[in-house]
Amino acid sequence: MLLTPYRVLDLTDQRGMLTGQILADLGADVIAIEPPQGSSARSIGPFAGDDPGPDRSLFWWAYARNKRGITCNLDHPDGQALVHQLAAGADFVLESDDPGAMTARGLGYDDLSTNHDDLIYTSISAFGQTGPKAGYEATDLILMAAGGPLILSGGAGEAPVRVSVPQAWSHACGEAAIAAMIALRARSQIGRGQYIDISAQQSVAAATMSANLAASIGAAETARVAGGMAVGPFTGKLIWEVADGYISLTFLFGSGIGPFSQRLFNWMYDEGECTLEDRDLDWIGLGAEFISGARPLSDWARLMDVVGAFLKQRTRAELFDEAQSRSLLIVPVTTVDEVANSEQFEAREFWREHEMPGWPEPVRFPGPFVKLSDNQIEYRRRAPTLGEHNAEVYAELGLDEDALSDLRERGVI
Amino acid sequence: MTTLSNTPGIPTEGALAGLKVLDLMWVVAGPTATRAMADFGATVVRVESANRIETARGIGPYHNNGQGPDHSGLFSNMNINKLGLSLNLGTDAGRDVLLDLIKWCDVLTESFSPRAMRAWGMDYDSLKRIKPELIMLSTCLFGQEGPLSRVAGFGTMGAAIGGYIALAGNPGGSPIGPYSAYTDYLSPRFALPTILAALDHRDRTGEGLYIDQAQAESSLHFMSTALLDYHVNGRVPQLVGNTDPDMAPHGCYAASGEDDWVAVAVRDDGDWANLCSAMGQGELTCDDRFADIAARKANEDELNGIVSTWTSEHGAIEIEYMLQAFGVPAHAVSNSSAAAQDPQFQHRGHFIEMEHPEHGTTTFEAAKGQLTETPPSYRSVAPSIGRDNDIVLRDILGYDDENIAELAIADALT
Repeated sequence: MLLTPYRVLDLTDQRGMLTGQILADLGADVIAIEPPQGSSARSIGPFAGDDPGPDRSLFWWAYARNKRGITCNLDHPDGQALVHQLAAGADFVLESDDPGAMTARGLGYDDLSTNHDDLIYTSISAFGQTGPKAGYEATDLILMAAGGPLILSGGAGEAPVRVSVPQAWSHACGEAAIAAMIALRARSQIGRGQYIDISAQQSVAAATMSANLAASIGAAETARVAGGMAVGPFTGKLIWEVADGYISLTFLFGSGIGPFSQRLFNWMYDEGECTLEDRDLDWIGLGAEFISGARPLSDWARLMDVVGAFLKQRTRAELFDEAQSRSLLIVPVTTVDEVANSEQFEAREFWREHEMPGWPEPVRFPGPFVKLSDNQIEYRRRAPTLGEHNAEVYAELGLDEDALSDLRERGVI
Repeated sequence: MTTLSNTPGIPTEGALAGLKVLDLMWVVAGPTATRAMADFGATVVRVESANRIETARGIGPYHNNGQGPDHSGLFSNMNINKLGLSLNLGTDAGRDVLLDLIKWCDVLTESFSPRAMRAWGMDYDSLKRIKPELIMLSTCLFGQEGPLSRVAGFGTMGAAIGGYIALAGNPGGSPIGPYSAYTDYLSPRFALPTILAALDHRDRTGEGLYIDQAQAESSLHFMSTALLDYHVNGRVPQLVGNTDPDMAPHGCYAASGEDDWVAVAVRDDGDWANLCSAMGQGELTCDDRFADIAARKANEDELNGIVSTWTSEHGAIEIEYMLQAFGVPAHAVSNSSAAAQDPQFQHRGHFIEMEHPEHGTTTFEAAKGQLTETPPSYRSVAPSIGRDNDIVLRDILGYDDENIAELAIADALT
C-alpha cells in the first residue's frame, strides 16, 4: 500500500480520528492510543442496537478502522514515558486535545521531537493553538457558525440550519491529513519533520464556497435561500419539489450551465409544456440580457415557475431517467437509506464489510474513498476493541507479559 | 494587513517545490486540491479555454459587485498561485501541447466527464505507455464506471444524491441542505492525501498510479455514522432543524441585530447552570422542567423560548463573549463582514490581501494548514484566461516564436 513504510501515533479523540483513518486507509501503520477507560469516542451515539457500550459506538466503528488500538494513561508519568518511546519509532503524531494539554503532559511537539527531528506532529483544535479564541468552548454547531457555512444555509429571514450529522471536525481532520502529507514531502526536501497547527474554524470555511470573502472584496453579502443559492441578482433554485419528493436541478444560463437548460427546455417543448419562444431563448447569453435590462428580471421568476410546474407533475425516477438520456443536471434528493441501496455504489462494489464484536451480522461500511490502479485501499482491520493490540505493540518496545501486567495494575495501560 | 505583490512565475521554494502539476479540473472540487499544492510551492499549470468559460468565473461573490470573467471571488480564491494557460482542446495542435505538458508533469488532474479523456486517447492506460511514472487523478461525481458514471454533475448534485441535502432542514419542511456544492468541499480532503501518498510511493518505487475518485463516494465518509445507523439500526435521519439528541438548548437564536444570529450549544448540566447564570436567571437551574438533559429535551420548545427572549435583547457577538466567559459554547453566526473582523481569523492570518491588475487589490483565504517549517507562499492572483501562456509555452515547454505562431494560426491557444 502507498503508505506502508510509515507509522502514525494517533492520540486523537473524536475530534481528530478521521485524520488517522485517512492515513491508515492509505496503508500507514496507525496506532490509536486510548486512555485505559476507553476513548471518549466510544461513548458517542448512536450505538449498535441502541445499546450503549464501549464496543458498540458506531462513531468508533466508523473512524477507528485499519488502526491498531492500545491503551495508555497520558496523565501518568509512566504512560508519558511509553508515548515517548512509541513516538521515537513514529513518523507522525496526531493529537486533538485542548490547546496546551499535550504540552502540559510533556507530550508536546518540543518534547517528542527532541532527538527525533524527523517527527511530523499535527495538532487539531477548534480555533488553533493560540489567539483570542483558542480557549473557546466549541461543538459542531459552534464551529459551523464561527467558520461561516451556517449563515448561508436556511430560509431567508429564518434561523440558519446545520447538517444534522456533525461535520465540523471532519473538515478539520481532512485538512490535517493534507497538511501531514505535505509535511512528509517537505521532510524529503528539508531533512526534518515539523509542527502543524490545524484550526477547525478555518477548515470549515471551505464550506462557504468563498461567500466568506464577500465583504473583503466589495461584494454584497450572499443571501440565504432555502434550497438554492443567490447568483448575483438571480436566485438559483437547486432543490425542487416534484410529484413524489424532491430533486436537485441546476437551472441557470451561461456557457457552463446554459446548454443543460437548453436541453431541459427542448424536452419541455417536446411535451408541449413550454412555448417556442422560451425554448429558443439564448440560454448562454440570457444573463447579459437581464443585466443590461433588455429583459426584465421578473422574466427569470416566470421561467422558474414554468420549470417548477413541469417538474411537479413528474416523479423523481422519471426525471432522473430522462436526465440521463438527455444529459440534464437533475438528480434525486436521496435519503440515507436510498444512498445505502444505490445501484451505482453497488455496481462499483463500493461497500465493505467487517464482522464487529457483539453484533450478529457483518456490518457494511462506506468503502474506499478512491479507487486506485494499484495498491488499492484495503479494509484490513475493523475498529479495535479496548487494548486489543497492547501485547503486540508493547512487545515491540520490549515489554513482556509481566511488565504489561505491572503497568495494568498501576493504571498505566 | 500587508498587501502582497502579484508576480506570476515558477516557484522555487516551499514544501512542494519542484513538483509539477497539470490541472485540467474546474469549478471547486478539483481546483481546491491543486491550489493547496500551489500554495506550498508546486508549479501548477491550470488549463482553460475562452471557448468554454469555466463555470466558477460566473459565480460570486463578485469583486465590487461587478461582472466579467475576472470578477468572481470564487474563481479567484480557488486559483491563487497557479499559472493560467489557454488551450483549445478541440484542436489537434491544442492536444499536442497538452501531450507535451503531460510529458512534463508529475501529476495530471482532470475532472471531465468519464468519456472525454478516452475520446482523446489520453486515458490513463494510454498515457502510462508513454509515461509509466505518471500520477493521474480523475475526479467526477460518480467515478469512471457504473450505471451513473455518465451523469455529468456539479457538487450541488453530489450533495443531493449523496444524501446531504436531506440531512438539513426543519421538521415538516422541505430539505434545505448545506450551502451549495457541498461534496466539492469534502472530496479534496481525500484526493489530495492520496496524490501526495502516490508521489511518495513513486519516489520510492518509480511506479505511477491512477486515482479514480467518485466525489459522491469520498463524501460518504463524512456521514459514516448515519450510514451505519441505517444499516445496523434501520434508522433513517429525519429533518430535525438544529436540535441535537444529546444537547439542549442547542440552536441558532435570533439576536438583536438584522439577520443577527447566535449559535448556542449546552452540552451538559454544568453548561446549563452556566447559561442560566449568564442570562441572570439562576433560578432556572432549580426548575424541574429543565433539570437534566431528558427534561430539557422534553421541554425544548419552552426552553428555546426562554433563551431566545434573552438573546433578542443583545447583539450576537456580545452574547458570544458573555457565554464564552461563562464557559458555554457559543458563537455569533458569522457572515463575511463578521469573518473579516473576526479577531481569531485575524490572528491566524486567514485573509490575505494582494495587488490585483483589474481590481486594485483582492482578498483570498490563506492555506488551511499552518506548517511551521515550510509555510505557504502567496505569489500571484488567479490568472485571467491565458495570462501565463508565455511562461508555460516558452519557459516550461521551451517553444520558440515560430512554434507559438503556428499554434495561434491553428486556433490552439484560445
